[in-house]
Parts: sequence; C-alpha cells; structure tokens
Amino acid sequence: MILDLHTHSVRSDDGRAKVANYCQWIKKKDLPLDGVVLTEHRQFDAESDYRELEDQYGLLILKASEVETDYGHVLVFGVNEDMVHAFDFARIDNPLPEVLAAAKSCGGFAVPCHPGRRNVGLFSHYEERGPVDDVEVVEIYNGGSIPGEDERSRQEADRYGYRGIGGSDSHIVSRIGLCATEFADDIATMDDLVSALRTGRCEARTWRT
Amino acid sequence: MRIEDVELGDELPEERPDVSLETVRRFVKAAEMDFPRFTDHEAARAEGLPGAVIPGIMSQGQLAAMIHRWAPGCSILSLDTIFRTSMIVGTPVVCRGAVTDIDDDGIVEIDVTIISETSGATGVLGTARVRLT
Repeated sequence: MILDLHTHSVRSDDGRAKVANYCQWIKKKDLPLDGVVLTEHRQFDAESDYRELEDQYGLLILKASEVETDYGHVLVFGVNEDMVHAFDFARIDNPLPEVLAAAKSCGGFAVPCHPGRRNVGLFSHYEERGPVDDVEVVEIYNGGSIPGEDERSRQEADRYGYRGIGGSDSHIVSRIGLCATEFADDIATMDDLVSALRTGRCEARTWRT
Repeated sequence: MRIEDVELGDELPEERPDVSLETVRRFVKAAEMDFPRFTDHEAARAEGLPGAVIPGIMSQGQLAAMIHRWAPGCSILSLDTIFRTSMIVGTPVVCRGAVTDIDDDGIVEIDVTIISETSGATGVLGTARVRLT
C-alpha cells in the first residue's frame, strides 16, 4: 500500500491544490497511490471531512500536520486533542525535543521532513548544534527537493541510523505522488499509519526523474 | 484551443523565456520599476539577495504568455502565484503548465511553475483559471 505522506491543500497558506483535484489527478494519471496524508502548515485541520471523496475515488485521505521547530520542519502524525494542546502548532520555533516528546506521549509520531535542506532541514541544524535524541525516522525523499538535498538526507539518515519515508510536499495538484511511502501492511486509519511508522514496516519511494 | 479539445492532465508546451540582463532591463524600464535589485548583480547582493532577481510581475507575464500561446484568445481570469526562491537574472528557466481541472462553464484550472534549469529549484508555482472559447 502506497501513501503520499506529505501534501498541502488550499488549507495551507501557500497551498493551491483542492483535495478533490488531487483525487481526480491521481486517478487520471493512474498514479500508484492508495491515498494521501494532508499535512497543512502550522495547524491541524480538524474541520474538513473528506469521506465523500474517499468513497468517490477509492482513496484513503488522512490528516496530519507540518509544524516548525528550532531544528527545521517536522511532520506530525496522529494529531489529536491532547497533542494540539501540548505545543503551539502555529509557532515557528518549537523546540524539537518537545515536539518529539509531545507526539510520542499523545500517541502520535513525529518525522523531520526535507532534512537535507538548508535552514528548514534537520541536518543543517545538526551541523551547528549536534544531533537530537529520539529522532527515529526522517523524510529521505521529498518532491520539492533540489538536486543534492535528498542525497544528503539519505546519507545523513544512514549515518545516524534513521529510517526513511517519502512524500511529495505537493502544494499544487500536478506535484502529487512524486515521492511516497510503501507500507508492508494495509493502512486504514491514522492509528495504523502511526503503528507502521513506529515499527518501521514501510519504505520510502520516489518517482522523480 | 476549445474547451472540447482539453483533457485533464494535458501539459502546455514548455517555454524558456529570455531572462537575460538586457531583456530584464528593457522590462523594468517599460514597467517603470527600474530598481538596481533587478538590473545590477552587485547592487542586489548588497541588499542581501543572491544576485539581480527577475521581477515577480515579469515571471507572471511569462506564465501568462505561455498560457496565451497555448490557447490564443483565452481569458486568464486569475493567476495566483507563490514566489518560493529568487530567480536570478541570466539563469535559464523553464515555464511549465498542466491542466488540473475542467468545469462545465468552459473554465480550466492550470498548475503553473517556473523552474531554474541550473539549480532545479522551483522559483514560482501557482494556479491559473482560464476561460477558453
């Protein structure tokens, strides 16, 4: 089962994609995706209900968030009422150890994204400040990376023993599915996804040429 | 280009607009926005930019031109762009577009991007709503 774990819709300030248009694009282009996870910037979209689209297109649509920390951007999966009160999703300088701990204690899972990118990536902060405990997984394939960034992500992930996931980081429709994550087991809910991320029964994939 | 001829997923022909210093100088003069950050690499660096940058409205004009060449006579209802990284004057770029939605009123939605051919970075991305004949 393949999911794009990093996507933005019009709910993000810089997102220009409607979720319905993502769905029809996936089907029209026959992309090998079984679903997407919407990771809106600095917020958790508790309101949107995509069940009709899931049924119409036969896709799984889950919701997570991309938050900002002092070590770069981080995807948080399994967001719930406890987690949105555990730290401020709107802040741009959340301490990474606090985000990792809050995600874990609230039953979720946090994954630094595009870690090979300057300024907003984990590994550029490691150069200055050293590694952070409790990082287990990073996004090693990101659809918005420029040449060299994903290579750095993979090399550094290997060096620190982190597992990898993939996501397109799409902000417009036609970028969906450039990178994704393949799961060994079926994923039907966010709990399934968090469990798979914890156990490592998944593998990053890229279709970028 | 008629609405009947368009399919979801269609790609517009790529364009590689002239972003040379000379052309940018002519553009900013015509647009009455002749500032050194657009026309002088050293002056731009002094402002903290990586070099002279292509004006945002010039990038939008290049995207609009691409759409009009694909569909002469169309009306661009909106062109909503996000500027993610500075596009440097004299560095080759490629403009791309793809049809991502078609509605019953003859309006198509198009993803548009401008990508640096040197770094591979997407400098501009966005969407256009276009009424076809």
